[in-house]
Amino acid sequence: MRFKSSQDIAAGMMFVGIGALALYISADYNMGSARSPGTGVLPRILSWCLIGTGVLVWIKAFLADGPSLGLAGWAWRPVIMVTVATVAFALHVDSLGLVPTMVLAMTIAALGTPETRWVEYTLFCLLMLVVGWGMFIYALGMPIPVWPGKIPDWIVAVRSLLKGGQ
Amino acid sequence: MDLGSILANLQLGLQACLLIKWIPDPFFGVLIPIPINLFWCLMGAVIGTAIGVLPGVGPVATMALLLPVTYFLTPEGALIMLAGIYYGSQYGGSTTAILVNLPGEASSVVTALDGYQMARQGRAGPALAIAALGSFFAGTVATVAIVLAAPPLTKLAQQFTPADYCSLMILGLVFAIVLARGSVINAIGAIFLGMLLGLVGTDVNTGNARFTFGIQDLFDGIGFVPVAMGVFGIAEIIANMTNVDRRDLVSSKVSGLWPTREDFRRSIAPVLRGTFLGGLLGILPGGGAILASFSSYSVEKKLSKTPEKFGTGMIEGVAGPESANNAAAQTSFIPMLTLGIPSNAVMAMMIGGMMVHGIVPGPQIMEQKPGLFWGMIVSMWIGNLMLVVLNLPLIGIWVRMLLVPYRLLAIAILFFCCIGVYSLNNSANEVLIIAIFGLFGYVLIRLGCEPAPLLMGFLLGPMMEVYMRRAMLISRGDPWVFVISPLSAMFLLIAALMLLFILLPTIRKSREKAFQEA
Repeated sequence: MRFKSSQDIAAGMMFVGIGALALYISADYNMGSARSPGTGVLPRILSWCLIGTGVLVWIKAFLADGPSLGLAGWAWRPVIMVTVATVAFALHVDSLGLVPTMVLAMTIAALGTPETRWVEYTLFCLLMLVVGWGMFIYALGMPIPVWPGKIPDWIVAVRSLLKGGQ
Repeated sequence: MDLGSILANLQLGLQACLLIKWIPDPFFGVLIPIPINLFWCLMGAVIGTAIGVLPGVGPVATMALLLPVTYFLTPEGALIMLAGIYYGSQYGGSTTAILVNLPGEASSVVTALDGYQMARQGRAGPALAIAALGSFFAGTVATVAIVLAAPPLTKLAQQFTPADYCSLMILGLVFAIVLARGSVINAIGAIFLGMLLGLVGTDVNTGNARFTFGIQDLFDGIGFVPVAMGVFGIAEIIANMTNVDRRDLVSSKVSGLWPTREDFRRSIAPVLRGTFLGGLLGILPGGGAILASFSSYSVEKKLSKTPEKFGTGMIEGVAGPESANNAAAQTSFIPMLTLGIPSNAVMAMMIGGMMVHGIVPGPQIMEQKPGLFWGMIVSMWIGNLMLVVLNLPLIGIWVRMLLVPYRLLAIAILFFCCIGVYSLNNSANEVLIIAIFGLFGYVLIRLGCEPAPLLMGFLLGPMMEVYMRRAMLISRGDPWVFVISPLSAMFLLIAALMLLFILLPTIRKSREKAFQEA
C-alpha cells in the first residue's frame, strides 16, 4: 500500500520523533504522587499524546489525499541566508559592534533573494544604519557597542582549536 | 451592574488614557505636557494601519517584534499600544484588499472579493469609506460590550477553582483546534508540541530541570518572545521571500470618498449583522477576526436576494466582513482580560506584553490594576476614532507605502527581530534561539502545521500544569475533582463534544466547506 501524502508522512515523523525523544529524556523524571504530581507527569502525558497524534497523521497519510512534500517547493535560498544572517548577528554583535554587524547581517539576508537590487539596497542599508543607531543607541540608550571592540568569540575558539591541533 | 458604576469605570479609564506626563524637550530641557498614553495609542494605531496595509506583515509578528521595545514603556502605554496595533491592522488590511486585490491581512481576504471589483468600477472611495465607518461602528459596539461583560465575567472567574481553570484551558485549546484553518490533526500535534516546549526549563514546583540538555541558557525556560519572533517573524520572512507579489494598484488617487445614500441604505443591515456575528465569534476561544470576516461574508451571501452578484462589487460584501472582523478583534480581548486566557495568537502576544512587565494575567487585574484595565478599554474606543481619521483623509499616504518592496521590508523585519530580542537581556544567545525557531517555524509551515496553535500550547502548557497541581493538592490526589466541580465538568463535556463532532466525517466536511466558501 502506498501513502497518498508525503507531507503527512513527514509531519507524522516529526510528531512521533519529537514525542519519542521527549519520552526518552523524561523517562527518569520523578513522577511524584497523586497528591503532588512530580516533574515527569505532564512531560510523559504530552509525549504519549504527541506520539499518538503522529500515528494518526500517518494513518491519514495512507487514507486521504494530501499535498506532497517536494523538495522543489522549499525556499532553500531564503532559508539558508535568513538563518545565516540571524546567526551572524548573534555571533558578532557583542564583539564587532552594531554598525558592522548590521551591515554584515543585512547583506547576507539580501543575498537570500534574487530580487535584490544592489544600488537600492545600499541606500536602504545606510537608512537602516541611521534608524538603528538613532532608535536603539541614541533614543533607547541600549548598552550595545557601536564599533568593533574585540575579536569575535568564535574566531578565538577556532584559533585555539587550530593551535591545539598543531 | 448599575449605570453609576459603569460610568465610574469609564471615568477611571478616561483618566488613565488622558494621563499627562511632563517631558523635557531635547534642546532646551523645557518641560512639555504630553498625553503619554494617548500618544502610545496613536502610535499603535499608526503602526497597526501601516502593517495592515502591507501584505506579508501581520499583527502577530509586529507585536512580537515590539514586545522588547514595550519594556521601556509603562505597562499602560505598552498594552494600549499593542492593542492599537491589532485593531489598527484590521483597518489597514481593508485598504490593500480594496485597492490592490491583495489581502493586507488574513482577515480581509473576503473584503478583496467585492471591494476590489468596486475599485475597478471607480468606486474605491465608497468601499473604503464604508469599510472604515462600518469598522468604527463595530468597534464602538464591541467596546460597549466589553465594558458591560467584563465585570460580571471577572466576578464569575474569581470563583473558579484550580480544577475549573485547568478544564477551561483544555476547552480553550480544543476551540483553537476546531477553529484552526488547515488540518485538524496537525493543529492538535502543534498544540502538544507547543506545550512540551513550554515545559523546557526548571520546574517551578520541584526545582528539577526538564529538557535542558545541560545548557545553562535553557534553565530559565525558552522565552515567549524569542519563540514568537522565530515562528511568526523569521519563519514568515523566509516563506514570503519566495513569493514574489505583484501589486496591481488600481489607482493611487482615490476620488469621491463619500458613499451615496443608496450605499448607506444597503450597508446598514450587513454592518449590524457583521457586528453581532463578529462580536460573538470574537469571544470564542480560538476565534477572532479571520473567522468572523469569513462567516459574515457567507451570511451576507446567503441572505442576499442576488447571491450570484457577490464577487462583482457588492457593497454588502465589504460592509459585513469589515465590521465583523473589527468587532471580533475587539471582543477577543474579553476572555484575555477577564480570565487571563488567550483566545488566539494575538491575545497570546498581549499576555506576553503583560508578562514583560511582570503582570500576572487573570481576573485579579481588574481589581488590582483598575487604571490599566479600564484605561485599555477606553483607549480602544479612542483608538478607533483615531483610525477613522487616519484612514479616510490620509488614504493616499498609506497607499504610497505599498511602493516599499518586500525585499527591503524583509531585511528591516529581520534586523528588528534580531536587535529586539537581543535587547531583552543583552544576550546574543537569545538571537540564536530565534534563528532556530525561525527554521523550525518554516518547517512547520511546510509540513502543514499552523504556528498559532503551537504558540497557544506554549503559553497555556505551563499554566495548565500549575492549576493541575493545585487542583490535585486540594483534592488530596483525587482526580475526580475535575468531574465533580460542576463548572469543570461542563467545560470538559463541551470540549469532549466539540472534539467528537470535529472528528465525525460529515461535520468535518461542512467545516471545510465553510472555510472554502467565500
